[in-house]
Amino acid sequence: MRRRLILTLLSIVVLAYGGFAAVMLTGTEPALGLDLQGGISVTQRVKPGTEYSDASLALAVERIRDRVDSLGVAEPEILSQGDTIVVNLPGVKNQQQAVDLVQVTGRVLLRPVIGDCQEVTPQEPTDSTDVPSDSTTPSSGSTDTTVPAPSTTVAPSTTASTDTTVAPSTTGAPGPSRSITATDTTVPLLGAAPTSVADTTTTAAATTTTADSTTTTTTTSDSTGTTTTTEPPVLDENGIPVQESDPYGQQYLQVKGTNVYCPVGPAWNPDGADPIEGSGEVFTDNAVAAVLDTGWGVTVDLNDGNGGRSTWNEIASACYNQTDQCPSGQLAIELDGIIQSNPSMNEPFFSGGVQISGQFTQAEASALAEVINSGSLPVQLKLEAVQSVSPSLGEGSLRAALLSGLAGVLLVLLFMIAYYRLLGLIVAIGLTVSGTLIYAVVSLLSRTQGLALSLSGIAGIIVSVGVTVDSYVVFFERLKDEVKSGKTMRNSAQRGFTNAWRAIVVADLVSLLGALVLWYLTVGAVRGFAFFLGLSTLTDMLVAYTFTRPTVLLLSRTTWMERRKVMGIEAATAGGTA
Amino acid sequence: MSTDVDDTIQHEPAVRSRRGPLGRLYHGETAIDFYGRRWIGISASILLLVVTVVSLFASGLNLSLDFKGGVVWEIPTETLTQDRAREILEENGIDSSNAKVQELISQDTGARSLEVQVGDQPDELRQQVQRAFAEEVGVVAEDVSTNSVSSTWGRSITSKALRALVVFMVLVALFISWRLEWEMAFAAIVAMVHDVAISVGVYSLFGFEVTPATVVAFLTILGFSLYDTIVVFDKVKENEGRYSGSRVPYADVLNVSMNQVLMRSLNTSLAAVLPVLSLLVLGSGVLGAVTLREFALALLVGLLTGSYSSVFIASPLVAMVKERQPRFKTLRGRHATGPELERLVHGGLPSARREGVRSRPVDEAAASGAELSPAEVLTHTPRPRKKRRRA
Repeated sequence: MRRRLILTLLSIVVLAYGGFAAVMLTGTEPALGLDLQGGISVTQRVKPGTEYSDASLALAVERIRDRVDSLGVAEPEILSQGDTIVVNLPGVKNQQQAVDLVQVTGRVLLRPVIGDCQEVTPQEPTDSTDVPSDSTTPSSGSTDTTVPAPSTTVAPSTTASTDTTVAPSTTGAPGPSRSITATDTTVPLLGAAPTSVADTTTTAAATTTTADSTTTTTTTSDSTGTTTTTEPPVLDENGIPVQESDPYGQQYLQVKGTNVYCPVGPAWNPDGADPIEGSGEVFTDNAVAAVLDTGWGVTVDLNDGNGGRSTWNEIASACYNQTDQCPSGQLAIELDGIIQSNPSMNEPFFSGGVQISGQFTQAEASALAEVINSGSLPVQLKLEAVQSVSPSLGEGSLRAALLSGLAGVLLVLLFMIAYYRLLGLIVAIGLTVSGTLIYAVVSLLSRTQGLALSLSGIAGIIVSVGVTVDSYVVFFERLKDEVKSGKTMRNSAQRGFTNAWRAIVVADLVSLLGALVLWYLTVGAVRGFAFFLGLSTLTDMLVAYTFTRPTVLLLSRTTWMERRKVMGIEAATAGGTA
Repeated sequence: MSTDVDDTIQHEPAVRSRRGPLGRLYHGETAIDFYGRRWIGISASILLLVVTVVSLFASGLNLSLDFKGGVVWEIPTETLTQDRAREILEENGIDSSNAKVQELISQDTGARSLEVQVGDQPDELRQQVQRAFAEEVGVVAEDVSTNSVSSTWGRSITSKALRALVVFMVLVALFISWRLEWEMAFAAIVAMVHDVAISVGVYSLFGFEVTPATVVAFLTILGFSLYDTIVVFDKVKENEGRYSGSRVPYADVLNVSMNQVLMRSLNTSLAAVLPVLSLLVLGSGVLGAVTLREFALALLVGLLTGSYSSVFIASPLVAMVKERQPRFKTLRGRHATGPELERLVHGGLPSARREGVRSRPVDEAAASGAELSPAEVLTHTPRPRKKRRRA
């Protein structure tokens, strides 16, 4: 029994102080919330009455995260709950920029690639006199490494027609690529790098291998040497390529996961329909990553409703025949300004299923399948709130909260020591145990889960001091009762704790219940508060059982504790020692 | 256990009477008849509730942008007048009659700025007006900070908060019914509603702005008030079990329990109020953090009503409900006061004046056992030795 008590006590102290020391040594600190740092908070919600799938919402969050990360915002906080996405951008001042950044459409667009893709490495902008030209001088194979070339193909999954003719006509003709640069003035001049990137071949599944290899070799030789890096297509003030999608015009768009930019035409919409025909809605949402002949790929069915299949076949025929609308024969699948894949069309007609094959890894194939699924039922977000928090207020608030919080806790401790004497000291030590434990957990979650400590969180913790202290008070008052009724100190401590523990558990469970309800049913600041309430309640129970109990029980066995003065009970009241 | 008896015989009221009120409080020797004075607390609460309702109808609540929805522009300017700001609104096609325009002077720098608040506007219009203001005072558009919340969003966070509150109350009621008693669940919920109502009343009466921080603070308080109430109820439940053998009015059980946990309640409330006072006085008063003031104010209001309601609302309510039940009905109106209550608080057994209604021989035995230690008397008949914990 005694050994177990000591062991429990040691573990919790080591856990708390050790965790604290570890967090301190590794320099992990709790991230500060928006109200403490200043910045901009943007809230979006799914348009009421529109259909969406959880997957498409999750993907929207993922997209927002990508975009926010690309901006280099330190410690962005992206919270999604139910149909709401809150993005907190600490340190960001330009409101419009923030709003643009987080407004993702979730719309997947089918846009023909109309020229050669370019490798653009972010470098000092060189003299951009090289007009995009057909790459002619094969030079070092340096581009081979820079250009990840999952050669992708689209093939009808149902027809097993071995269409060997599908010579991947991926290498874009010089003409179109020049014309883009000419017409689209926003696109800076680029060295022409034929689309080795996601080089796209449309072959029937059976023949892709050969077709692929051809493509790859062709493009590689082509692209080498032409990767004259100039500045990216359009840069914002942070040097990040602008990724705003313009579905009605020609533009350069980045290929996912690369520094390659492809010129794409307007989203397929010959009839000028609204919404745009050539969207992810031509597919059903049954896209899955599957092992095809050439390795991992994606299979998906066409959507019979809404003219999905006929739209797709129009595109397929245009690209297969490399008409003016789709001169490269490749089709870009775009999501929010990023080309997810740009396979070339291997078949002019698809009856039901579509295969996208190429040198995918399993993860890449799954990601593409997810994109296609979300595009089949895109989530429509509505801007609900934009709020900027002035950072100067934040700084002042933080200092004030910390100082006054510490002062308050100190007052409480003084009161406890005055009232309970030695037992008050136990409260003081216990509070440091709880405090370090909470700090370590918050720091850890802040690093791993992106949890940010907000003002309401800090205040919640300070207030929870009251609850924590109460656990001690309940215990000590019980202890006094037991002692007064004439029990030995040892028995009193044991019984007092058993009784107090019951009250503590009931009361704490109610707090925990509250925290859970708030966590699941509210958004924003209240939710952050709920987290800290739950955390401090759990800590309270843990510390009461593993720190306070063993400490008092162990002390109660010493003769020293028999001098009742140490706990603020007069010996006369308590009767003689038993 | 029998060895303890001799040591504790000195527990008699006479010994205690030499202490002053504070001393008695410190040593847990109070004998306040909470139940007998229940109408004082209940009347006070009813009065406060009436004030709340009147105030709500008269002036309503000063809800912040987050709940109402709308747009706020904050324009850093020394010269722009309020009238000119309204004109700019009109120029952009916004009805300025409902606009709220006020001057703000920064506490840190003394810089003046103008805050213009109107109802929900489309995003494009918000930016257009932002540019117009910026042009007017000659700054770049980004220097005019704006906040906007759509009214649907404002409604939805309000309804979400309310829904959370209702779900919470239902769950708490179920939980207390399960762990304690349904009567206690009822009383705890009434006390909680009471706390919310009074806090809302204070905010309405003084026109304080209700922000999300306020809501968070209220929720903290609800949790805390409930916590407080439950600790009291836990003691009541325990004492009810102790007295189950003898026929004691529920009011006595309650009074005894309340006096026994009084010190704990006071200590806990003090421990909770101290940090909040520190936030309010030091944090927002001396250090000037406005956000903290809203927060601390709500906390303080809530803490005070919370502590008050667990003692003066929740507990008497339990007794009043309980007394209507058959088990306690016959004993209504016969609760102990004064020295008799004091004796009970310190573990004395029910006095002989209720001998007539006592029916079980066990109780008779216990009643005559004046030499028994209070601890033993309070519990049931002595348990068989083998079941006892080692002493």
